[in-house]
Amino acid sequence: MIEMSSKLILITPEILLFIGAVVVAVLGLSTHRRIRNAVPWTTVGFLVAAIVATQYVYDGSETVTDADLLFPNLGLYLKVMVGVIAIGLVLLGIGMVDRRYEEAVRDGRTSFDPLRVVRGEYHAFLLLSIAGTMLIANANDLIWLFLAIELSSLPTYVMVALGRGTRRNQEAAIKYFFLGAMSSATFLYGFALLYGASGTLSLTGMQEVFADQAAADGIPLFGLIGMVLAFVGLCFKITAVPMHFYAPDVYQGAPTPVTAFISFMPKVAGFTAIIMLCAALGWSGHHIIDNAGVKVPTEGLPRPVHATLWVIAVLTMILGNIGALLQTSIKRLLAYSSISHSGYLLVGVIAGTAEGIDAVFFYLVTYGVATVAVFGVLCGLQRHGREVETLDDLSGLWKRHPGMAFVLALSAFSMLGLPPLLGFWGKLDLVIAGISAGETPLVVIMMATSAVSAYYYLHLAGLPVIRKPDARTEGVEAGPSAWPRIAAMVFGIGILILPFGARTLMEKAEASTKNSWLEPVETTLNTGDARPEDQTPELPQA
Amino acid sequence: MLSAIAHTALATVAMAGGGDSSHGLPAGEPFGFQVPIAPVVDEQSFALAAWMIWLPVISAVLCGIYAALGVKSRLPAWTTVAALAGSFVIAAMTVSKLDFAKPVVVHLFDWIDISWSSGSGSAGDQWHGLRANFALYLDGLSAYWILFVTFLGTMIAFYASEYMEEDKGTGYCRFFAGVSIFLFAMTALVLGENLAMLYLGWEGVGLASYLLIGYYYKKPAAVAAAKKAFIMNRIGDLGLALGIYLIWLEYGSLEFGVLFAALQSGASGAGQYDGWAATLIPWCLMLGAFGKSAQFPLYVWLPDAMEGPTPVSALIHAATMVTAGIYLIARTMPFFLMNKASGGHALEAVAWVGGLTALLAATIAMAQYDIKRVMAYSTVSQLGYMFMGLGLATSFGACYHVLTHAFFKALLFLCCGAVMHGFGGQLDLRKLGGIRRVPGWGVVCWTMLIGSLWLSGVPGSAGYFSKDEILAQAFITDGAGFPILGWIGIITAGLTAYYTFRVWFRIFTGPTHFKPDDAHGHDDDHHAHGFHPHAPGLRINLVLAILSLGAIWLAVGYFVGDIWGTQVWIKNAIMHSSAGTGLQLMPAGEHPTLFGFDPHTAMYFVSGTFGLVGLTIAWWLHCANRKSADDLRNWLTARGWIAWLPRAMEHKWYVDEIYIATIRFPLWITSQALYMFDRVFVDGIAVNGTARLPKIAASIFQPLYNGKLQGYATSMAGGLALVIAWIVWVWMRGSV
Repeated sequence: MIEMSSKLILITPEILLFIGAVVVAVLGLSTHRRIRNAVPWTTVGFLVAAIVATQYVYDGSETVTDADLLFPNLGLYLKVMVGVIAIGLVLLGIGMVDRRYEEAVRDGRTSFDPLRVVRGEYHAFLLLSIAGTMLIANANDLIWLFLAIELSSLPTYVMVALGRGTRRNQEAAIKYFFLGAMSSATFLYGFALLYGASGTLSLTGMQEVFADQAAADGIPLFGLIGMVLAFVGLCFKITAVPMHFYAPDVYQGAPTPVTAFISFMPKVAGFTAIIMLCAALGWSGHHIIDNAGVKVPTEGLPRPVHATLWVIAVLTMILGNIGALLQTSIKRLLAYSSISHSGYLLVGVIAGTAEGIDAVFFYLVTYGVATVAVFGVLCGLQRHGREVETLDDLSGLWKRHPGMAFVLALSAFSMLGLPPLLGFWGKLDLVIAGISAGETPLVVIMMATSAVSAYYYLHLAGLPVIRKPDARTEGVEAGPSAWPRIAAMVFGIGILILPFGARTLMEKAEASTKNSWLEPVETTLNTGDARPEDQTPELPQA
Repeated sequence: MLSAIAHTALATVAMAGGGDSSHGLPAGEPFGFQVPIAPVVDEQSFALAAWMIWLPVISAVLCGIYAALGVKSRLPAWTTVAALAGSFVIAAMTVSKLDFAKPVVVHLFDWIDISWSSGSGSAGDQWHGLRANFALYLDGLSAYWILFVTFLGTMIAFYASEYMEEDKGTGYCRFFAGVSIFLFAMTALVLGENLAMLYLGWEGVGLASYLLIGYYYKKPAAVAAAKKAFIMNRIGDLGLALGIYLIWLEYGSLEFGVLFAALQSGASGAGQYDGWAATLIPWCLMLGAFGKSAQFPLYVWLPDAMEGPTPVSALIHAATMVTAGIYLIARTMPFFLMNKASGGHALEAVAWVGGLTALLAATIAMAQYDIKRVMAYSTVSQLGYMFMGLGLATSFGACYHVLTHAFFKALLFLCCGAVMHGFGGQLDLRKLGGIRRVPGWGVVCWTMLIGSLWLSGVPGSAGYFSKDEILAQAFITDGAGFPILGWIGIITAGLTAYYTFRVWFRIFTGPTHFKPDDAHGHDDDHHAHGFHPHAPGLRINLVLAILSLGAIWLAVGYFVGDIWGTQVWIKNAIMHSSAGTGLQLMPAGEHPTLFGFDPHTAMYFVSGTFGLVGLTIAWWLHCANRKSADDLRNWLTARGWIAWLPRAMEHKWYVDEIYIATIRFPLWITSQALYMFDRVFVDGIAVNGTARLPKIAASIFQPLYNGKLQGYATSMAGGLALVIAWIVWVWMRGSV
């Protein structure tokens, strides 16, 4: 009984978002334009409520620490981070959804038909996907983990399809859905094998079982295959090799605000899930057989899993960065860039210590801020009433919208990792974690590939300044709504200013792994040093 | 008589300030600090100090907002003046609470704090770290610097509120935003608790200087000057960055408290690169200081920087920013002493570069006709004196000269600015004359006379005392050829008096004549037909009066013994900071003598005589007998064996031309070659070729990569199959 209610308290933010999804879905159907226009702001309101609720729920009390979670404090950081960046993502969509239809209604060319608007649905799906991502942080067994991942993915398939009309868009939606289903099948099969190998669904229970197995004869082959299947399936969410193929097509075909959403939210979901699985399966002590045939205990992930992730990370970094070099479409370029960022993030996962995990969570923030800024620029501009598509479309942007060109350059430099911008600190954290864990070759590859990425990021930053628009490419103008540009500005300034608070942000990211199994010593110290007021008689358990 | 009084005062001060007049080397611990230097963290009683740094930031942001709102009033000026005055008041309050013997650290927020292990993965890994908090380090040196920086900043911003009047609107906002950014960066540079913050400020003042030199961005000369200043400074900044890196490598920290404690205990660092790193540290820092403070060979940007508005020249390129190099060396003096203790020659190099730059710049200044350029070369020359002082181990003399120079040079620049502002942008001293008798120019004339007297170092002026402190030291400290250096300095003092009064006599005495600058006249019909000079207004005159009063106080304060006396207070401040350690290098016991006197006593007569001789020659050539100056020049140029001298001086010894021939041209050739290499090989073959690989691969695996869903699904399944096969294979090998 107590356990149930404490779990419910922990997911208050998600419950709020779910209520919000229902509310905006209904509001979106209203016949009053004013109410329909209030839908994005209602969405933002619920996100703010979820962020505030998170702060109250994670007050460090026993509700949190006794919740039988692998990372009891992860939710506080993850939910606030996802919520704040999601507010930026909502702002990107203002004025984009239903734009032509709403204009037609306003001009009296057609009467309002609730069946033809999707604004309510768009925001409801967005909230549901965010709720799913947040729920992953609370997962304590495989079923929960699977359902949370699916809750975060399913709405995105529909969102991609919402920009209906063009053939490319429909193609993207179909591809995303089918390949996504395939990846779900893959990691679900992996989960099944893991259950078979460990005999438990609980993540903490699984951790103990695998630790015992590793200490005895090693983890059985089924366990290893399950593990790898789960990882490869989740690679779809984080657009890593070999599940990255869909990214350029889908990113290009989806409406730009949705592209922004799917380049950030599934990535957070995927990396959180991967880290949960790694925590359940690895890092707990294993045996290797050395050349003399003697079993030697070792730290870290089982070697085959480690090697698999290593190869995946290297291929992802190389293919992502090389693929981006010759792109002319901005969204395809950003798709490849997003692939390469997953490769960098995997370095933190492979490093695997508390440091590495903290670095991953910190890097996700830096990546999210730059993503909102760069897509804010793309959403805030148009060319002859259409989305900005190719790099050539940006020619002469510096003359027309110096602010937008500046934000574009800032976010490109931040993604490149140029000091002293935010992205630099993210990358630095990953590099330090990698080096400290002895993964120097991986870090060298990371640095080399991110040096290659300078080629296309500098293109992105420099073209608006250097290239003069010709007759074919001129005509970049401000989009219908100012909000995407405002979001771009705010997050762009964040790229500049947040480095001064980088220390604080990193500490918050570090707090996400506090009180977890990664530091058992601190817990014992606390119990040994109990204060008098803690010695109240315990309530009888039901 | 006067010098006798002065010398008595000096002796008293040496007793009062130094504690002991013989700064002998304590045995065994040659370069230890005299006072415990470990800083106290105190955020309670110095809570207000943080606003010294934040007020200029707020003002910069507000000026930006004004520009966006299109404010056309004087609001940006008043905002900046108020913020800087607030900064000064807080600085004064903070310093009054500060005990120089106890440095204080005021922590603002955590900034950089990272650590990593050496990465072997084993338990015995060594951990390295880099920590730099956003914190203020308050000791005698930073207190001393921040006081005159904020005071002159306030004064000059007030002056600029009138001077920049014609640009009211966006330009006005831009100007004051730049000044605020500069003050923020300068505050960070001076008050920073670690070398990272110093570097932040260092780059920040460079940026502000670039923005303000290029303020008239439609003028090609101004843009070129801004770029030149920026690039020359980059060379120096590279030195500073390397120096900071080496310090971190050797001592594992960038915080002054930690570094000084390590140096105090005689640690010579981790001995990286066979001990070369410790030797290189002072040389790298020196390069940084020479770039920022315009010393040979990196001085050529400063005269060109005069293309900026005159208040900027006064504030950044005369009084404050260019002294950052002096501050850097004074702050890191223990590193230089460590170098000297191990037989290095870094300090001697500083002294010699300073002395030679002083002479070189003074000879160039003698032959220039643009009055702002004369002042610019004079600044380079005076900065050379300061470096000489640092190299001669009298940080006190160097820092004292920084202060006196800041006042009289800012005063001189602001007077030149007033003349330029009033006479249609005219800066050529051949086209101005007898301005003394034009109505409304009295204040400018007489305050500029004070500035000129102080710069010339005539007996009794502040420049006389502070310069002599340095020159006398040349005959006391042991070092390579220091007495020769001393004579170079003395000759330079004579040249200084000559070129300073050449300007003053030419502009203010003689028959009244003036015409506006050609460029200015063409722009403006009003000026072209019947030019009328407009005399400076109340604000300009007020600032000039206040600055000259400050300069007079600096001279009078020399004779005052208590807290209001400039000598005692400054000596206290410098002696107890990291710069004070230099004083210990003075030989104990008997000083060497000059003409049978103590060098300090002798210098009062020698340098005073040289100054007066220079002044008299200037009076003869440019006031009493004006035509003779041209006669002299014609006489010189007519004679083949000496004709090169005036020409070379007028052409600034052809240094710019030499740089173009030896550095810029070869660099241009190299850059063209590299550009071709980049086009053909890097872009053409490496990048585009590599980038085409996926396309080539795509053509091979065409069925899979055609954008079809089935192709993608097959590829993913194939990748998955490979991974599983790999796992099974590893499992079969049994190494799990």
